[in-house]
Amino acid sequence: MSGCPGSRTMTFATQEGADVPAGKVPSQLRQWPIQMHLVSPAAPYFQGADVVLAADCVPFAMGDFHNAYLKGRALGIACPKLDGNQEIYLEKIRGLFEDAKINTLTVVIMQVPCCRGLVGLALQALKESSRKVPVKSVVVSLQGEVLQEEWAAA
Amino acid sequence: MERYLRTPIKEIIGKHPAVGAVLEEYRIGCVPCSVGTCLLADIVEIHDLSPEDEGTLMARIAAVVAPGQVAALPEPRTRRPEATRKYSYSPPMKALVEEHGRIKRFLAVLPSVIDRFDARSEADRGLVRGGLDFVRSYADRFHHAKEEDILFSLFDPDLDILKAMREDHERGRAFARAAGEALARGDGEGIAANLRGYAGVLSEHIRKEDEILYPWMDRNLSMRQVGELFARFRAVDERFEEDRKKYESFVGRLEDANAETLSEVSR
Repeated sequence: MSGCPGSRTMTFATQEGADVPAGKVPSQLRQWPIQMHLVSPAAPYFQGADVVLAADCVPFAMGDFHNAYLKGRALGIACPKLDGNQEIYLEKIRGLFEDAKINTLTVVIMQVPCCRGLVGLALQALKESSRKVPVKSVVVSLQGEVLQEEWAAA
Repeated sequence: MERYLRTPIKEIIGKHPAVGAVLEEYRIGCVPCSVGTCLLADIVEIHDLSPEDEGTLMARIAAVVAPGQVAALPEPRTRRPEATRKYSYSPPMKALVEEHGRIKRFLAVLPSVIDRFDARSEADRGLVRGGLDFVRSYADRFHHAKEEDILFSLFDPDLDILKAMREDHERGRAFARAAGEALARGDGEGIAANLRGYAGVLSEHIRKEDEILYPWMDRNLSMRQVGELFARFRAVDERFEEDRKKYESFVGRLEDANAETLSEVSR
């Protein structure tokens, strides 16, 4: 149990008795694309929207991500540890604030330290933006529990 | 117990004064409230106690209102794990709390302004005129208008807690009006009494909003509402930009003048 917590090997026991919704659960995704290198702040789905910027691993860790965070919101996904050219992300997030005039941004990350970079990126973009919006950060455990929700200060 | 949960708190405290003391222990200040129509069940929800505290509080109230009886207590509400409950104001609420900070700074200086007031001095009358202008323009037209016209409109207008807050605003306005009338007729005692009344109402009102109302509102606002509220507050800020700066610097000047006078007195 040593080394980087972001890539440490772990196995989780099945949660006995965990509630599983009956039948097919509909997706709450209302757009394509979603990856931050592929999306454009000019896309109609971002205009005036409440946006979620999620770390790539979050929707897999969190069983109810669609209903808890995606419903009614536009989405961008990224990995602050592995993705290249993240200065483009900075520009795009600033474009969301200034050009798409988004209403709010919720940054959902995993608890591993390398994920903090995504919140840092969003706050840097907010600091550089001439237009301010409320930004909230949400930290999710490896097994999908919300560990912390906090309003970010730019 | 179910019947008491649906009973206005003033009625319960009226019949059982010890309930007021129990609530005070949990920093639930219903005793001095001028309205008191909130239902016990709503009060418990608004204050967001831990399940343990909520259970103990209800048991203690049951022991007062129905001594010796086995009361069926409601199940404490479940809530999110403690780690997620670390509360921080949403950006629009934080802006209101910062405005409260400026009003509290004004209220802190007010007693020494009142103590030293001489109705024959034009400088003292000018200071009170400036203070009343701050009260009417910054605290009321700018800050309370944000609350009454924008924030409160997102909630049911019949909520007792909002009625109580509006009534506090009205009581503050009445004291400010009466202080202005006393100033016009050179009545030093009238000025002092009404400014003290204003400071008393506003200090308690701000505490209730910062500690209870705003956190409760934050728990009930959606992300969409928080974003819209933030944008609407910013628009008001921009409209009042010049005035806002003027009144913020007025508080600073008042503090500086007060500090100089106090140091002269202590010399």
